[in-house]
Parts: sequence; C-alpha cells; structure tokens
Amino acid sequence: MNLLALDTSHMFDVDFSGEVIVSLIAMLIICLFSVAIYFVFRKKDPTKPDHGFAMAIETLFESLQKTVKSTMGNKYEGFTGYVFALGVYIILCFILGIVGLPNPLTNLTCPLSIGLITFVMIHAKAIKHNKWKYYKRYTSPLAVFLPINLISMWAPLLSITLRLFGNALSGYIVMSILYYYLGLLSTAIFGFLPAGWSSLWIAPIINPWFHLYFDLFSGFIQTVVFVMLTMIWISQEDPDESIEEDVALKRELA
Amino acid sequence: METEGLKYLAAGIAVLGGIGSGIGEGRICAHAIDGMARNPEASSNIRNTMILGCALDETTGIYAFVIAILCLFI
Repeated sequence: MNLLALDTSHMFDVDFSGEVIVSLIAMLIICLFSVAIYFVFRKKDPTKPDHGFAMAIETLFESLQKTVKSTMGNKYEGFTGYVFALGVYIILCFILGIVGLPNPLTNLTCPLSIGLITFVMIHAKAIKHNKWKYYKRYTSPLAVFLPINLISMWAPLLSITLRLFGNALSGYIVMSILYYYLGLLSTAIFGFLPAGWSSLWIAPIINPWFHLYFDLFSGFIQTVVFVMLTMIWISQEDPDESIEEDVALKRELA
Repeated sequence: METEGLKYLAAGIAVLGGIGSGIGEGRICAHAIDGMARNPEASSNIRNTMILGCALDETTGIYAFVIAILCLFI
C-alpha cells in the first residue's frame, strides 16, 4: 500500500535497486580516494612538513588511531584501517542522501551487511583468543541456559543493524513527508504558475535545515556510535587485555 | 469487517515505546548538565560522552519505530 505517496513498497525486497547502486557508488568513491591517497603519499617527501590534502588525511588518520588505541588498547593499532573504512562508508552513505540519491542505509541489506561483518569479526576474535573455551559461553552458568544463550548471541547483530537502519529510515520518512506537504503548500500559494513550476518554491528554503539535522548530525553521531560499539565489542573478547594495565599505561603517559 | 484502521492503531501503540527513550534521554542530559556545572573543565569530555549515551539510549525508541513501520507497511 502507498501511504502519503511514499514509495516504500520495495523496502524489504532483495533486489538490485537504487540503494544498492548508490552503495556501489560510495564504494567506488572510497576506492578512488584510496588510490589518490596512495599516489599522494608515495610522491611526498617525508622530510618536509605536510600541507593541503596530505595533511588533512594524516590528521584524520592520526586522530582516529589515537581513538582506537585509547578504546581498544595499544596492540589493536592495526584495526584503524577497518574502523576508518567503516566510518567513511557510513558517513558517505548519509552524505549521498543529501545529494538526492537514495540513502543506501534505508535498505535493510546495507546495514545488515555491515553488521554481519562486525558480528563475524567479534566471534572470530573470540574463537582465536579462547580456542575451545569459546564454546563454554553457551552453557554458562548452567547447561540449561543453552537455548537462551543461543538466542542472546544474536543481540549485538540485531542491535547494531537496526540502530543504523532505523535512524536512516526515520530521517528518510520525515524528509519525504516534509517534501510532500511543502510541495502541496507551495502549490496552494503559487498555483497561478504553469503546471510543474508551482510546487518547487518552499521546500528549498526550509528543508536544508532538516537535512542538516537528519543527514549530517544524525549520520555523524550514528557513525561514531557504530564505530565505538564495533571497537568495544571486538576488544572485549580479548581475555588478557586487563583494564588496570591500560589505566596504568594512561597514567604513565599523562 | 474493516480491519485496515487496526494497523494504524497498532503502529501508534508500538511507537509508545519511545516514552522510555525520551525519559532516558532527559535524565542523561540532566545529569550531564549537573556534572558540567560542578566541574566545568571536564565539560567537553562530558559532552562527548553525553552524545554517545543519547545515541545509545535512542536504540529502544528506534526498535519501537521499526516495529511501527513493520505494522504499517507489511
């Protein structure tokens, strides 16, 4: 059915729809940027200070590396690449939503794919660190809890996926309602103009502020939350990374 | 019998789950402001944690929203 002329009938289908193509566009942009960064840094003279593009990239990367180190511990420095790619992809999806393309995260496929990557990584990390003891967690504290544990195992995936999906979708729906009703309002005021020209005049003035909130602010916050949760869940699986050691190290550095 | 309207009723009831999320966000903000007033030097640190906490707190509200969307469109 069609409510308020929103086209959401394809929302839960699995097909090669607009969102998937936009997701591929986002990946292409990231790939081109990666190649550009590679060439910029290969030509750069390491003895001279950075400026322009190289400096921006380096500052971004170093601040992210610092965040990763302080959240996950020093030996997880290598995770910066994954976290960087994840964050850039999510924020780029939200930004492409402003340009007028459909936001890929409003299709359940995209958040579920990202969530699955994180989910698999959490469990792979746990198996790597705990070996056979990994399977013990499903029968703790008693063997009776096995079915409950098997269900609660999926909670991180559900939580991380639906958070991103719900945020993107709520922004999309509110924006669609705004565009629809502001178009009607504009038609009522500028009805004397020729057909096709009467509904364009009010939405461009009011909607950028809502885009600012729903796409940029909300998108940025969701990116930070997604990345933080990924880092925290992955580093939680490591049994030897004790918190006291981390705090002592921080005190030493300060 | 007309059952089309029940969908909308169900969606409205499902979205009531946002109440808890709203109360939680209010409490987070209130305590963050308390902390900032008591210790103004730490305010930037507190603000970052507060925004993260708000975003995490929204989760239940978003679950309610997703259920409402499922009621409406499926």
